[in-house]
Amino acid sequence: MKHHTISFTLNGTHEIRDVRSNLTLLRFLREQLGVMGVKSGCDTGECGACTVLLNGEPVNACLVLAAEIDGGKVITVEGLSMDDQLDPLQQTFIDHNGIQCGFCTPGVLISAKALLTRNPHPDRDEIKDALRGNLCRCTGYVRMIDAVEAAAKEGN
Amino acid sequence: MELPLPELPAFDYLHASSAQHALEQLGGSIARTRVLSGGTDLFVQMRAGSIAPTELIDLKHIPGLATIEFDENSGLTIGAAATMNAVARDPEVQANYPLLVRALETVASYQLRNRATIGGNLCNASPAADSAPSLLVLGSRLTLESVGGQRELALNDFFKGPGETALTPGEILTKISLPLAPTGWKGRYLKLGRNTSGDLAIVGVAVLGFPDPEPTSGFRFRIALASVAPTPIRVADAEELLETTTLSDESIEQAARIAQDLARPISDARASAEYRRAMVFELTAWALKDVRQMLEEEA
Amino acid sequence: MTEVERTVSAPSPVGESVKRIDAFEKATGAAPFADDLQFGPNLLYGRVVRSPHPHARILSLDVSKAAALPGVRAVVTGDNCDARFGLYLRDRYIFCRDKVRFVGDPVVGVVAISETIAEQACRLVEVEYEVLDPVVDPVRALDPGAPLLHENLADYEVADFIDPKPGTNIANHFKVRKGNVASAWDECEVIVEREFRVPIIQHVPIEPHVAVAELDRSGRYTLWSSSQSPFAQRNLIAQALELSQSDIRVIAPYVGGGFGSKAGLSAEGTAVVMAMSVPGHPVKVRLTREEEFFCAFVRQGLVAKTRVGANAQGEILAMKTEYYWDAGAYTEYGVNIARAAGYSSTGPYRIPNVEADSYCVYTNHPVGGPMRGFGMPEIHWGIEQIMDIVAEELEMDKVEFRLKNVLHGGEQNVTGMVMHPIGLSECIEKAARAINWGVDEPPSSPYARRSKGIAVSWKAPAMPPNAGSSATVRMNEDATVTVAVGGQEIGQGTFTVMAQMVAGVLGIPVDWVQISTPVDTKYSPYEWQTVASRLTWSMGNAVVAAAQDARRQILELAAEHWNEDIEHLDLRDGQVISYRSEEVLPLQNLVVYGLPLPDDQGWRGGPILGQGSFMPGYVTSLDNETGQGTRAVVHYTTGCQAVDLEVDTRTGKVKIHRIASAFDVGKAINPEQVEAQMQGGVVQGASTALFEQLIRHNGVPQNASFTDYRIATSVDIPDEIIPIIVEVPQDDGPWGARGVGEHPMIPTAPAIANAVSAATGVRIFDLPISAEKIYLEMQKERSG
Repeated sequence: MKHHTISFTLNGTHEIRDVRSNLTLLRFLREQLGVMGVKSGCDTGECGACTVLLNGEPVNACLVLAAEIDGGKVITVEGLSMDDQLDPLQQTFIDHNGIQCGFCTPGVLISAKALLTRNPHPDRDEIKDALRGNLCRCTGYVRMIDAVEAAAKEGN
Repeated sequence: MELPLPELPAFDYLHASSAQHALEQLGGSIARTRVLSGGTDLFVQMRAGSIAPTELIDLKHIPGLATIEFDENSGLTIGAAATMNAVARDPEVQANYPLLVRALETVASYQLRNRATIGGNLCNASPAADSAPSLLVLGSRLTLESVGGQRELALNDFFKGPGETALTPGEILTKISLPLAPTGWKGRYLKLGRNTSGDLAIVGVAVLGFPDPEPTSGFRFRIALASVAPTPIRVADAEELLETTTLSDESIEQAARIAQDLARPISDARASAEYRRAMVFELTAWALKDVRQMLEEEA
Repeated sequence: MTEVERTVSAPSPVGESVKRIDAFEKATGAAPFADDLQFGPNLLYGRVVRSPHPHARILSLDVSKAAALPGVRAVVTGDNCDARFGLYLRDRYIFCRDKVRFVGDPVVGVVAISETIAEQACRLVEVEYEVLDPVVDPVRALDPGAPLLHENLADYEVADFIDPKPGTNIANHFKVRKGNVASAWDECEVIVEREFRVPIIQHVPIEPHVAVAELDRSGRYTLWSSSQSPFAQRNLIAQALELSQSDIRVIAPYVGGGFGSKAGLSAEGTAVVMAMSVPGHPVKVRLTREEEFFCAFVRQGLVAKTRVGANAQGEILAMKTEYYWDAGAYTEYGVNIARAAGYSSTGPYRIPNVEADSYCVYTNHPVGGPMRGFGMPEIHWGIEQIMDIVAEELEMDKVEFRLKNVLHGGEQNVTGMVMHPIGLSECIEKAARAINWGVDEPPSSPYARRSKGIAVSWKAPAMPPNAGSSATVRMNEDATVTVAVGGQEIGQGTFTVMAQMVAGVLGIPVDWVQISTPVDTKYSPYEWQTVASRLTWSMGNAVVAAAQDARRQILELAAEHWNEDIEHLDLRDGQVISYRSEEVLPLQNLVVYGLPLPDDQGWRGGPILGQGSFMPGYVTSLDNETGQGTRAVVHYTTGCQAVDLEVDTRTGKVKIHRIASAFDVGKAINPEQVEAQMQGGVVQGASTALFEQLIRHNGVPQNASFTDYRIATSVDIPDEIIPIIVEVPQDDGPWGARGVGEHPMIPTAPAIANAVSAATGVRIFDLPISAEKIYLEMQKERSG
């Protein structure tokens, strides 16, 4: 199987790595780079637990090959709170109790972050729509939506 | 029953630098080499073992293959590797083909649509392909390329069966072309899934209508269905009926009945054939009534 | 309608909506889950060859090709581990030995240097099967000629409150005989008889099962797993391996959703047996999402046949029920679910004449495990619909009918237990009011029909009479506290609630309290299991006892130091204070180093270590023939949900405007967390109500993926969920608290069904209430 040398930035740090063709970005991040905030939930792009930002846009890391990110920029939940400063979304998720078991949380935060970047003032339906690719079995979504709404308000 | 693999099986990933490069690599055989566009279906099929390519050629970086161009005279050209989000976000597409935008927004999730491409959606040839009904009623044509040259095909002639298309071995889809949408048109894509949105379609119905003095009704209609036959289909008989009679609740319901009769749905985990057939009638009538109302409001 | 005086005073921060203590870790992606733990290059991977047949005899096994594949380190089969195990009924092996009994049953395990090689090797294993007729219907499973799943049922070890019937497929039969049902029918004005069905569904935790096991050179096992019940897993592994509990250590980090699926033993057992063959190497087994759908646990299906009679005044006089549980191939918890269903079969109603037979029936389906509600969502599906129908036939308002018939404190329930004080009537009234019960509101379009529905529920923790909890409270030099418990944080917020309780007893801020994580059977005190909504109450009692023990030691120390009476001392704001002398001492240092005695007479005290344990001492058995007893359960949590929804007549789609969810939690230690449980429970309940079903064809699962098995997403939630907290204290709960984790999904499905019926005239008797069923039933009604 072919290997590829890829150059990319991960949460702001430049990396050069060697990856085999069939390695998904999800496995690459977790198994070779130790980025454990990215979660594996289905491997079919349905649950959203592995959502990361690739070049500023959210993608399911289980459906992206590591070899495809050459020259790209990856941000995971770990990259949301650089310099010990929580992202406003992380704070509102804590304050609004938008977290229960916490397994879906990293992916949800990334989807929400991408939403607020492209649409700083989403209404409730737009928030729901942006989160529909992130399955959560605990919270019933209500408090997550509240948290995104609150972060959007704070962003004013 | 065979469960999917825990991880993608082995293959070689290749970066195609040009369409020619990709075509040469395909080497006349699609059995062991497959093109990779978004990968959202391909990787799932590979894990499931339903296909086992030894080589994947990534088309996403071929210059021009992901571009979206609008020309006021000839219409829209979408590179086959353009992602659904790129198409749905394009200002010209939003202004001129909102029906397509709505259809794309019904697909799965935002993050999935960042990878999934229009070309992939069509080539995968799922009967439930959400982009297909809208592209059908908008009169789309496809450009297929092979080492031997290129050919054009109406989308209507592209689908051959579930997972089957008119693509010959060694051929790839490079462009989807949409003519200018008819003046004064109104459209509706209604998709019924189990979830409020984001599920695969149990039934999808696209309706497009526009004023035209020629037919009796004063309007022309185009109707296409997803997920109720081996391929996405146009419903020409129903379209004709709506043009040759005066537009009324009765004629709309009659047209919807024709669509229902034409549908050949199957029963699967999502719905029974019986329900699907019923939904073809309900959603077609619903979409037609909505479009009629929009047309009348405009007039 | 409060039934006891509410005099429990709550020292802060108990009763406050404290933020979760695990939220920061979880919001930053730092919280470790089982798959995140690092094991170094020694780590190996296990994959499992699973039965493709629902029912077959294993004739031969050839693993030679698999074992020869480069990278494979070991291949294990049923021969590696030959003891049967099970929580209440020891009916399974970790790897099958004689027969396979469901599609997915583990047959062979392969250990290799990667998941992919292990999987490739699995596909080289040759198994010859004699395919047997499968049992796929729990009612027909009882036919005289039906194939038997467990021919040797008579030889299986079983707990004394479970009653299997050797020679049949019945794993348990629980009976209630109360009053005289036969003669009561004559007094009834209205008698309704119906059959209800509940499909097999899956828990769908977003984190699939992960287990890593290692056998060390001294012969001891360590298991790192995504586990709701580390101590129960330790017990079950000890049974299966014929070892002692102390030979096994289970370490359980945060659980990414459990809902019951991660209680008991499933994938973990296969990891342990595989580890046995490669000492010194940890072996990781993780289920793919597809495996998660049917290879671990599912919720049992149910066929419920129910008959209810009421007199002209609207009083329920008699109820007769038969439950046939589609238990799957093995039971683990299923036998006890059937028992709990039997002793709760009336719902929270006062019914003098009751006959119930609850059969736990083996079928060739995936293994039925516990799932949020432990049988109660399943039985209330029928109970709360048939009560609606009875009210309709009596032409009584459905709220009024329920208020007239529900239990109050002091009344006898179905098993003869005298009910403790409950606030159910208050829940009904408040939930109904919250959605404007009785007021017709307009639908959103001319194609929609809108109406309202209501359902009540009750549930007791279903557990052995002697299920216990324990805790320790250790003081640190800086006066912070390290609390060790064996109960697990699975998202429900229990660590936060425990911290609140300790802080409340010790008079310190909540953020001075840390919970020892991960739960580790080597270091954490014993906890039966994190199930049954029992932690706030049971583990809470143990934690409070431990904190009180520490508190007493501190006060005794200060009393001696100040030469004062302990009665005058208190802990407040991180200090010991004397109300009499107005002396004040900060807790820092004294809780570890003690205090000097007056006049240089030495020191007293030392590191403060509080300990506490709790076990309900009063639970008695139920009579085998009548199901009657003094007190078979510790308490019931009761509640009510009221739904306002509309149905689109063009598609049958349900749109929920609002759901009010009212539960009597005794005392909300953390009101916001209680509300969060209600919101999450309502959505999970609505998801199971509208969408969910594991479809099988002749025993073979057909929709084991997120593509085909849909759960509710963010776009599917009700427009409004109205949580209502009712507090009628539990006499033996901490500050009066009782559990509420499972309850908010129990009445959701029948409440929705009742509202759909009111809106459309169509009643759905088999879950889910899919748009398809509603539409097609409405079509039938229309065409008369």
